Amino acid sequence: MSYLLTHLPNGWAVDQAIVTEEDRVVVIRFGHDYDPDCMRQDEVLASIAEKVKNMAVIYVVDITDVPDFNKMYELYDNCTTMFFYRNKHIMIDLGTGNNNKINWPLTSKQDMIDIIETVYRGARKGKGLVNSPRDFSTKYKY
Amino acid sequence: MANILQKDKRFFLYQEPPPGYIAGFGRGAVGFTTRLDIGSARNSDIPGFEDKKGGGGGGREDRNSGNDDDDDQSVYGGSKFDEFEGNASDKFYDSNKSYDQDDKEADEIWDAIDSKMDSRRKKRKDEKEKQRQQEQKSSRPIIQQQLSDLKQDLSTITDDQWSSLPDAGNISRSGTGKKRYDIYTPVPDSLLERAKAENETYSILPTGVDNSSGTTTTDLTQVGSARKTVLDLKLHQVSDSVSGKTCVDPKGYLTDLRSKRIASDTEIGDIKKARLLFKSATTSNPKHAPGWIAAAKLEVLAGKMADARRMIAQACKECPENEEVWIENANLQTPDNAKIVLAQAVSIIPHSVKIWLYAANLEKQLKMKKRVLRRALEFIPTSVKLWKEAVELEEPEDARILLGRAVECVPDNVDLWLALANLETYEKAREVLNKARQAIPSSPEIWISAAQLEESKGKNDNVNKIIKKAIKSLSSNIMVMNREKWIEEAEKSEKNQYYATCQAIIFETIGMGIEEEERKRIWVLDAEECLSRGSIKTANAIYAHILYVFPNKKSVWLKVAQLEKAHGTKESLDQTLEKATKSCPQFENLWLMYAKEKWISGDVIKAREILAKAFQSNPGSENIWVAAAKIESEMNDLKAARTLLKKARVVADTERIWMKSALLERELGKDSESEGTLIQDALVKYPSSFKLWLMKAQLEERLKKDIETIRQTYKNATVKCPKNSSVWIEASRFEARNQNFNRARALLEQAKLKNPTDEDIILELVRFEASLDNKKQALTILSAGLQLCPKSGKLWAELIAMEPRHSQKNKCVDALNRCNNDPYVFTQVSKIFWFDSKLDKAKQWFQRVTTTFPSFGDGWAYYYTFVLKTSQNSDAEAKEILNKCIEAEPNLGEQWIKVSKQIYNSHLKTEQILKQVSLNISKSILIQQHQQLKK
Repeated sequence: MSYLLTHLPNGWAVDQAIVTEEDRVVVIRFGHDYDPDCMRQDEVLASIAEKVKNMAVIYVVDITDVPDFNKMYELYDNCTTMFFYRNKHIMIDLGTGNNNKINWPLTSKQDMIDIIETVYRGARKGKGLVNSPRDFSTKYKY
Repeated sequence: MANILQKDKRFFLYQEPPPGYIAGFGRGAVGFTTRLDIGSARNSDIPGFEDKKGGGGGGREDRNSGNDDDDDQSVYGGSKFDEFEGNASDKFYDSNKSYDQDDKEADEIWDAIDSKMDSRRKKRKDEKEKQRQQEQKSSRPIIQQQLSDLKQDLSTITDDQWSSLPDAGNISRSGTGKKRYDIYTPVPDSLLERAKAENETYSILPTGVDNSSGTTTTDLTQVGSARKTVLDLKLHQVSDSVSGKTCVDPKGYLTDLRSKRIASDTEIGDIKKARLLFKSATTSNPKHAPGWIAAAKLEVLAGKMADARRMIAQACKECPENEEVWIENANLQTPDNAKIVLAQAVSIIPHSVKIWLYAANLEKQLKMKKRVLRRALEFIPTSVKLWKEAVELEEPEDARILLGRAVECVPDNVDLWLALANLETYEKAREVLNKARQAIPSSPEIWISAAQLEESKGKNDNVNKIIKKAIKSLSSNIMVMNREKWIEEAEKSEKNQYYATCQAIIFETIGMGIEEEERKRIWVLDAEECLSRGSIKTANAIYAHILYVFPNKKSVWLKVAQLEKAHGTKESLDQTLEKATKSCPQFENLWLMYAKEKWISGDVIKAREILAKAFQSNPGSENIWVAAAKIESEMNDLKAARTLLKKARVVADTERIWMKSALLERELGKDSESEGTLIQDALVKYPSSFKLWLMKAQLEERLKKDIETIRQTYKNATVKCPKNSSVWIEASRFEARNQNFNRARALLEQAKLKNPTDEDIILELVRFEASLDNKKQALTILSAGLQLCPKSGKLWAELIAMEPRHSQKNKCVDALNRCNNDPYVFTQVSKIFWFDSKLDKAKQWFQRVTTTFPSFGDGWAYYYTFVLKTSQNSDAEAKEILNKCIEAEPNLGEQWIKVSKQIYNSHLKTEQILKQVSLNISKSILIQQHQQLKK
């Protein structure tokens, strides 16, 4: 379903996408379009994109085409989702131990919407770290 | 559609990145490091990007300044500029040209020219340079140079001048002007951002690698746990050695630890300090024994016995004259060593009683003890303590000999004399005491013991003599024994059963140092004090003396009689009363008491005689007449009683006599006619006697006269005695008996109007209303009545009884607060406890009632009923109560009077009345319970 989402072709585009968005959360999925995990994630993102359009804008980045952030954001997983707001990386306490990003395919639409909303609300208040409405630790433990 | 609309906004999707663009750098992106095993997030390979915290702006400048290869203009470095050659980038400068041989030669030539030019006119140049410097100095001098001459002067200043230099003080005008308000400028976001990034820690920390970006603080709990693990490890190692054998038993180790006396750091520090102090004390003043002792004790405290012993031994050397040191030394030694030490001590200071006593105590065998003590006495024959110790150990025979010797050696000790006298036979004891008296003329004890000795041999005459002598000699010896001391002595001898001595002392000494007028008062006080201390004989003696001095004092006689009645025998009581009546025949109470005593003991004839005597001395006393008539009527000698009363009516014409006569007729004669005439006559004489009126009304009622006449009688009664509640109450009861409730109520209301604060009338009114089932009316009257007389126990008791059950307790508390000492309230409270089946408490309260108000019959009756109904062994307890009740002779209380004042009941005994009352009570209780069950 990745074709329904906007791809960012290079680092400049990624940076501009993050910097120029003024009042919405920027959700970026890093990964590969052909990866099964990413496919599942993209399907969810595509289906909720219209619902959350007032709160968030969703982009997709191919980490092979745009390797600039791999080291910086430790993009070593198949599928990683990150949140930005006004050029600020928003962290989420998911209960997994890694607050920086969602590094697994989150396949529940409602969960995704909830997380995006939480991030939006928290970020609008100026928070750098928000608490996820659900604890994902039991399901995905390392 | 949305995509199309947004297209122009998202220009970046189709733009090419600017050349050399570094992703993330443009927006100041900050990476994170969570997994160092994979790699660092820092872009160290990008120049100028290694410091991620540097932020965007700073990074850009860094990059520019560090970039040498760039063909930028910012590379105008001052270092390359030369005066002659100019900038390296001027037109002569060719960066591509290499430095060859010609260049080198040229440079050398130029250098040579330079050095040549320098060496020419060198002197002049140097001078010029110097001049220039000086010029500069004078034109722009530095402060240090300006002040140098002044500084030179400072060397002449003395220390005093230095110290008296004034402080400069703050003369700046800061703060004098108008204070400006603080200006708060909002902190820019970027600053906050950076500060946050500065302190950012991430939740996942690499293990084993120090994260330089995180703040490191000392974690105390971690330190503690680390220590624990170390100890744990050590213990494990010790307990499980490699060979499999355990070299330490963990349990034993622990118990070891526990048993170890833990001297805390502070303690050790204290001991060290104290040791130092004592050491200095003992070295500076070695002859000071307490210092040595304290030092030794400190060592004992610190657990160093050997040190302590050494210390004390030194002390013994330094101050051998001090007995304390020796004793302390003996204390610290084992018993055997202690003996040796004491032997030494005794050889040095043979006159120390303390050491001898200590030595004697150390001996275990009696024989050895004796020996030590005798030896001691050889050295110190004047020590009373030693003598006493020695005598205590001996048999009586030896003790006597010893005491004989002791008395010779220490003639001025009373105790030794007395002990000796105790051991001797009578004759010898007298001698001994005589000697003692000579030796110690100022001791009253010897005199008293002499008197006691005489008394024990039955020579009471001598006792008086001795005491008299004693007082004489003691007063001549200026040994002032005051009265209180003598009385104390008297009490002491009473306690030792020397009554004669006691009496003699009192007789001789009681008058000492008292004013004539004060005598009686003080003596009575003395007697009462003695009584309260339980020395009856002394009190008796005092009274006897008072009566001896004032034979006509009635109150004293009465007191003596009471004392005899309480503590003495019958004979002594009789004697006392006889004497009393003789010495004050005008006092009728004594006569009555005497007669009553006689009558109670069954001696009627004697009683009559006594009363006859009483008549002789008090012909006009109604009490005696009444008593006589009572005796006669009790003896059923109706005629005699009648004649007596007839005489009495003539001789002592009082209301009471008349009433008694009428009563006699009523009870025994059943002669209503003569009763009627008597009452009629009496009423003519005493129209305001309510009792007579009531008797008349009752008589008429008994004779079944018609209602109108009786009513008239009551009316007359109320007119004559309007202030008497019982008249009103009886009248209203009469009306109520005849079903005229309105009349009854009217009567009571009238009574209340006339006596608004009479509790009896209010109570009657309340009960009247309650009996007519006007509960509300009754309650309002009751509460109004309580406001009028808030201290009325009867009303409170009624209120409690009328309350519904749940609020009775509160009312009880109220009542007890208002009138704490009222028998009615007490009885009511105990009843409440009884009905709540709190038997223990009820019993307590009943006991309280009967002890505090022994004359309150209702209390006794309720108690009796209570015990009969509830107690396990009711018979015994009931009997006990009965006996107590008979003793107390109660005559008050509503229920009690109801029974006791009934016609034909007047001759009933207390016992019978009590039983009757308790029967009534149990009936009424049954009725109450029945009613409650019905409800």
